[in-house]
Amino acid sequence: MTSTEGFKRHGDHSYIAQFADSEKEVLLNLCEQIIELLAERTDHGHDDPLAAMVGITSHDSPPEDEVLHRLLPNAYADSVDASEFRRYTESTLRQKKQAHAISMRIHLKSSDDGTVDLDHENANAWLGAINDIRLALGVRLKVENSSHEELELLAPDDPLRGVYAVYTWLGWLQETLLSALIDDADEDEEAQLGNS
Amino acid sequence: MVKTADKIEEEIRAIFSGDTPWVTIVWDDPVNLQTYVVYVFMELFGYSKARATELMLQVHNDGKAIVSTGSREEMEHDVARLHEYGLWATLQRGDQL
Repeated sequence: MTSTEGFKRHGDHSYIAQFADSEKEVLLNLCEQIIELLAERTDHGHDDPLAAMVGITSHDSPPEDEVLHRLLPNAYADSVDASEFRRYTESTLRQKKQAHAISMRIHLKSSDDGTVDLDHENANAWLGAINDIRLALGVRLKVENSSHEELELLAPDDPLRGVYAVYTWLGWLQETLLSALIDDADEDEEAQLGNS
Repeated sequence: MVKTADKIEEEIRAIFSGDTPWVTIVWDDPVNLQTYVVYVFMELFGYSKARATELMLQVHNDGKAIVSTGSREEMEHDVARLHEYGLWATLQRGDQL
């Protein structure tokens, strides 16, 4: 099976890609890891079931895990405001991120021949999920402190070399979906200008 | 009872009359693709491609950009949506920049 050519726009607001079995496996595996990582942060031993029900979390400090910290960042520079905001919003943010990854997983799992066909909403979920995976890999690769040249020169036996290959491939895949989406948005914008 | 209702009304009025604008700031991040940041600005804020590109370049070149202004509640909503899509965003009072 040949490797994917990425996403292509197909008619109005439909974005299609076909993945080889091996690519599908990699993507599914990464989705699972993000879902699991976010699940690890689930509230344990909530004192107040009602608070849990309305989405108030017992977490008022950022995650210690570097990857989770990047996925669930502080909203305020001030730590008191940041804690308060986190208590009321973090569980919703976690659920939304999980929903993006779950949507991606469902599309991949329900495709027998590796073809996925996304509408606008699903495409946004995929973009969010791919981005979360790239953020997670980026933390592990220390993209913050390393240049792309350094990462390109990783030794062949360095396990991070494979991680970097997946990271750049995901960036390329995301880019193909974005250019299809932005083409559509451009046409909509032009149509609106034409109508006014 | 009446007193409580009045008090609540007063609180609410105080919340809404605060005319200090708040701002949402997006910070530069080495992972997020430029095209992705442009798309997220277009999608979440309804900005044109030109405006979204201008803001993305500001984030990239200056390390940060103010992407929206409004009440504290509105900015909290914007930051939550930006976090949902993995952009690194914070909010703060506009007079404390």
